[in-house]
Amino acid sequence: MATTYLRRFYSSFLAHIYDIPPRLLALLGILLLICLPLAGLSARILLILTTAFILGIFAASWDLLVGRTGQISLGHALFFGIGAYSTGLLFYHLNWPLWITIPLSLIIGSLAALLIGFPCLRVKGHYLALVTLAFPIILMGLILYFRDFTRGDFGIWNLPSYFPTLPYTQQLIAEYYLCLFLLLASAIIMYKIANSKIGIVFVSILDDELASKASGINITRYKMMAFVISGLFATLAGSVNAHLMANGHVTSLASLRITLSFMAVAWTIFGGIGTITGPIAGVLILEILDKYVLTEVIDVPSSWRLISYSAFVIILVIFWRGRGLARFVTDKLEDFEEARDIDERGPKIWKTYKKKEKK
Amino acid sequence: MHLLEVENLTKSFGGLKAVNNVNFHVDEGEIVGIIGPNGAGKTTLFHIISGFLKPDSGTMKFKGENILGLAPHKIVNKGIARTFQVVRPFRHLPVIANVMVALKSPRGNKKIEWIKTIERKAVDMLEDVGLTELMLEPAENVGHGDLKRLEMARALATEPDLLMLDEPFGGLNPLETDFLMKSIQRIHLDHPTRGIVIVEHKLYALMKIVKRVIVLHQGEKIAEGKPEEIAKNKKVIEVYMGKAM
Repeated sequence: MATTYLRRFYSSFLAHIYDIPPRLLALLGILLLICLPLAGLSARILLILTTAFILGIFAASWDLLVGRTGQISLGHALFFGIGAYSTGLLFYHLNWPLWITIPLSLIIGSLAALLIGFPCLRVKGHYLALVTLAFPIILMGLILYFRDFTRGDFGIWNLPSYFPTLPYTQQLIAEYYLCLFLLLASAIIMYKIANSKIGIVFVSILDDELASKASGINITRYKMMAFVISGLFATLAGSVNAHLMANGHVTSLASLRITLSFMAVAWTIFGGIGTITGPIAGVLILEILDKYVLTEVIDVPSSWRLISYSAFVIILVIFWRGRGLARFVTDKLEDFEEARDIDERGPKIWKTYKKKEKK
Repeated sequence: MHLLEVENLTKSFGGLKAVNNVNFHVDEGEIVGIIGPNGAGKTTLFHIISGFLKPDSGTMKFKGENILGLAPHKIVNKGIARTFQVVRPFRHLPVIANVMVALKSPRGNKKIEWIKTIERKAVDMLEDVGLTELMLEPAENVGHGDLKRLEMARALATEPDLLMLDEPFGGLNPLETDFLMKSIQRIHLDHPTRGIVIVEHKLYALMKIVKRVIVLHQGEKIAEGKPEEIAKNKKVIEVYMGKAM
């Protein structure tokens, strides 16, 4: 008797949890992020999250290009670097304020995407991946060669900060909200683009270029469009990041590093390729794991940090069968909805749900 | 003036002449069948007309305009739409979105009646081939017979003046074949000026709907005429059945 009630209570409890639509889940996450600084978190977490927001824009922009259009880019850090260097150089040589240099860097970034797109999009698949891999390395070489103009590997220091008048702690929180706002704004724009009619054409290019051509689509134009949009948002991430306190107000060669390009791949595959929202969730989770949980909470020895981090990512990617976090969550929610439709609410729900899972 | 006029078309892959000096034309409102045994060059001919392959020599005129050497998407926007022998759906997209891709092309977009939205037009296109029930299903979950019809809906979405069907009945059961045959005939009646070219192996289905048949063998045109004439043509029977002992 008691066990029946207990099980009934348990299943109705689960019914409430699984009853949340994905949209509400995203809203709850956003609310949580908005409320976090009010909870009096340490400066360290705020800095990590601020950087994670910027990297979220970067990962989502990679996802729009690769997950939606199928144009594999392994050198996406190029745009991050172009953003950082254009805003940095404009400040260094002309001493312009950041509200001019950041929009200018966006224009430079999209022009660069247009320029690089022409040679890049003539090749497909693995070859495209190799060609794009080369570009950040070329830019790095150019920056080192023209060291009088670019300051080479010293980088450009003391870039202006966003809120110079505020005291340190308030500046942290203000930057946190600024980056959160930018992340939400660009995520919404990218999500809208990906799910618009243009986004449908992007996916058609990913699925079958030949059939897309046979439907009368000028695929070069659409590929270029995806390249420029993606480049634009990656540039935004790079240029905003350069002025952040979390970044130390520096533009340096680190913004072009190859690991950044490959981290975009890891975050996106972890979060769910082609979902736009997934990579953002992936960045937030993995950045907190890497920079906070594995260093402060668990205190893994530094030589084991990368191994445990990679193991975590690989195991979950395999567990989710490569579909990623976002799809895993939505699948669970849908499964439950189906199970509930078959049976009426009650203790049966849990049973049907379990049965479905076994199949 | 013919709708499509092909003259002296030749295409060789290495030493093999896949299409050899082929001449033919398609008139407005005509259904033309192209038949031939395996490797006769039917699909190569299709690829050349739709711009996926460049011929070695020859001319190709559509409504009196030279279309040789144009990119595939430009040819579609001139008004020649094609389907593929092996179905090529956009597997990640729902069925209706597959059609919407074609409607996003310049010609497809222009041909949407002002009163309709792109979605409405896509639904209408699916209605023509009887796929409205599967509208929201991802194309990867849809069966082969339905994908064949989806191919056709996608080609029809650009409102082509010349529709080219590459083995539309391939892999369909008799029931599906019958249904598709009827929908081709209905499309023909609805758009009396539209030319249709069909490449097919299933002769019994093809012979019922076409007005004129062109027979290819080893890249060359060996016969042309009405279905009844072709069925009696000695050369054609020889090609299909082998020489009489």
